[in-house]
Amino acid sequence: MDKRATRIGLGQRQARSVARLSRQSWRALASRQEIIILACLVVAALVIGLWNPNFYQATNLLNLARGVSWFAVAALGVSMVILVGGIDLSVGAVMALAGVLCASALHAGLPVPLAILAGVAGGLGVGFLNGVLVARLGLPPFIVTLGTMGLVRGVTVGITNGAPLRDLPPHFRALGQHDLYLGPLSVPLSLVIMALLAVLVSLLLDRTILGRYIYTVGRDEQALRLVGVPSASVKITVYVLSGVLAACSGVLMTAWLGVAAPTAAEGYELEIIAAAVIGGASLFGGEGGVLGVVLGTTLMLVVRNGFVFLGLPTYLQSGAIGAMILTVVLIDHLWRRRLARG
Amino acid sequence: MRGITLLLLLLVVVACGAPAAPLRQRMTLAWVSKSLGNPVFDHGRNGALARARELSAAGPYTVEVIATGSASADAVEQTRVLDDLIARRVDGIAVSCNDPIACTEPINRAVAAGIPVMTWDSDAPESQRFTFLSIDNYAAGRVAGELLARAIDGSGKVAVLTGVPGALNLEQRVRGFRDTLAAYPDITIVAEVTSNEDISRGVQGVEDVMQAHRDLRGWFFAGMWPLFADRGAMPLWEQAARTGRVKTVSFDTLPFQLELLRDGYLTALIGQHYWGWGYDSVQTLYDRVAHRTVFPPFIDTGMDIVTINNVEAMIRAWETNDFTAPLPPP
Repeated sequence: MDKRATRIGLGQRQARSVARLSRQSWRALASRQEIIILACLVVAALVIGLWNPNFYQATNLLNLARGVSWFAVAALGVSMVILVGGIDLSVGAVMALAGVLCASALHAGLPVPLAILAGVAGGLGVGFLNGVLVARLGLPPFIVTLGTMGLVRGVTVGITNGAPLRDLPPHFRALGQHDLYLGPLSVPLSLVIMALLAVLVSLLLDRTILGRYIYTVGRDEQALRLVGVPSASVKITVYVLSGVLAACSGVLMTAWLGVAAPTAAEGYELEIIAAAVIGGASLFGGEGGVLGVVLGTTLMLVVRNGFVFLGLPTYLQSGAIGAMILTVVLIDHLWRRRLARG
Repeated sequence: MRGITLLLLLLVVVACGAPAAPLRQRMTLAWVSKSLGNPVFDHGRNGALARARELSAAGPYTVEVIATGSASADAVEQTRVLDDLIARRVDGIAVSCNDPIACTEPINRAVAAGIPVMTWDSDAPESQRFTFLSIDNYAAGRVAGELLARAIDGSGKVAVLTGVPGALNLEQRVRGFRDTLAAYPDITIVAEVTSNEDISRGVQGVEDVMQAHRDLRGWFFAGMWPLFADRGAMPLWEQAARTGRVKTVSFDTLPFQLELLRDGYLTALIGQHYWGWGYDSVQTLYDRVAHRTVFPPFIDTGMDIVTINNVEAMIRAWETNDFTAPLPPP
């Protein structure tokens, strides 16, 4: 008994040192990618603003901030799944489910906090199902989450009979619509919520052992298992967090729109994954950070917003975002090759 | 083999179970929507069932309507639904196609099996359907252009919101709108944004345009997507609409849109005859099956034009579920 305990203790120490090592090299990589994104963001804002100065108006920045907030919350969760070398295609469907559960609870007369909990619980359940199927049964995450995506969407349409739920109470909508006044600055409440969640995720990744395990699972799962860390539990936790964050995102979106549609967020999973990838999350696992995800999301929304300001046809947007993903991945790849050559 | 067994079984059932004196002939018509549960389609289904009841009461046929569809708006699932109906040997099918190409084969299979097929709302023009019943989307777009041009006194910047790029009916609406405004030299269309038939994308598109063009005077929404969102979601549009700085003409006349019109946010609405999608389709199929009536390839359902002058009548129609009375002039 004693012996086993020491072995686990030793294992954890080893894993921790492995994790610490990989964290340092990750930091070097991530900061580079974040700087690239930040530079792109500045250039985009300058070009759009030069063309149409209305871009810099406070109302537009608020509009952008509100759009970034709920989108980034979902991207944070997906980026953690990508960190462990997985993928989560069910986030869009979970967003719709959470919105519909929350709205149904509000219609049933439940107070706002309980209704939000109902929505988040839905996300937690789906995340747990994804996690167990991927980590315990060893099924490929792409297939598992593709399946739950369809399943969850079907259930959501079933709950609502296909019709959107409207007439949500004003103090619930305030979550997504109200602005806070911090001195002379007005900041959307949803952006503050996003920042809080981002700080929490950042603390989890940077300051806890679980966070180190998450990075290590993505880089070298075998090593982690050899030193006795239950990598399956780490993965399940990550899928659960992704489900919970997607649900939070769905609740925020619903509060902003004041309507919960069963067809909401259809196809958003790919944009959310794209935001995480643009922000520096590597689909090979083990790389990425909170700041990058938020910057990646912001860049995507600024580009979309910029299309309207520059007067470009909006059907070219998906093309532009596709080109952006390829460029970022290509830069990353070339950089890595140079590093490898020394 | 299984087919023969089934046939034998059926014969036995018919032989044993046939009523002594079948007084009336039964006619089974299928009414297939793009998906189940959509409130607009529910409305069409009620229309279909209502006409079936009326026809049965008038005789000589007992008309039974099977109102069905795929659970979601999915082309493959819809094919399966159509094949099931062919296997059931219904007497006629009226379908709204999720995809014009995917719909063509099953429609032709039904026609080959001797079942007349018509389309409503969403067509499969290459198929052997005998007619297509719908609003004239191009004409409706022209009317929208006229209404908006009049509302902004023939000058200013306007914008267009559409759905999925490539959707035939939406493109016709926008083309009609553009063609009409081409006759107004002082009106410029400064933006056309797509919503992907998504509420949040629609809301963001509208707000982006409101921000980029602060002197915008008018909007044409080719669909109702952003209006699904509650007050507070589009602060710029709402403020401009309430003060009358921006005039908006939108497609569709759902109750929440009528409310927005009554409250002064919208200038005019162009409504499709959701009820008629069912009611008129069943009548058309009935005539085809019972009297072998020949129809032109396109049946225009007409449109409802709703403004502040007749919005109360439309609200009453929704409340009483009776859309048979003509609307007062807009």
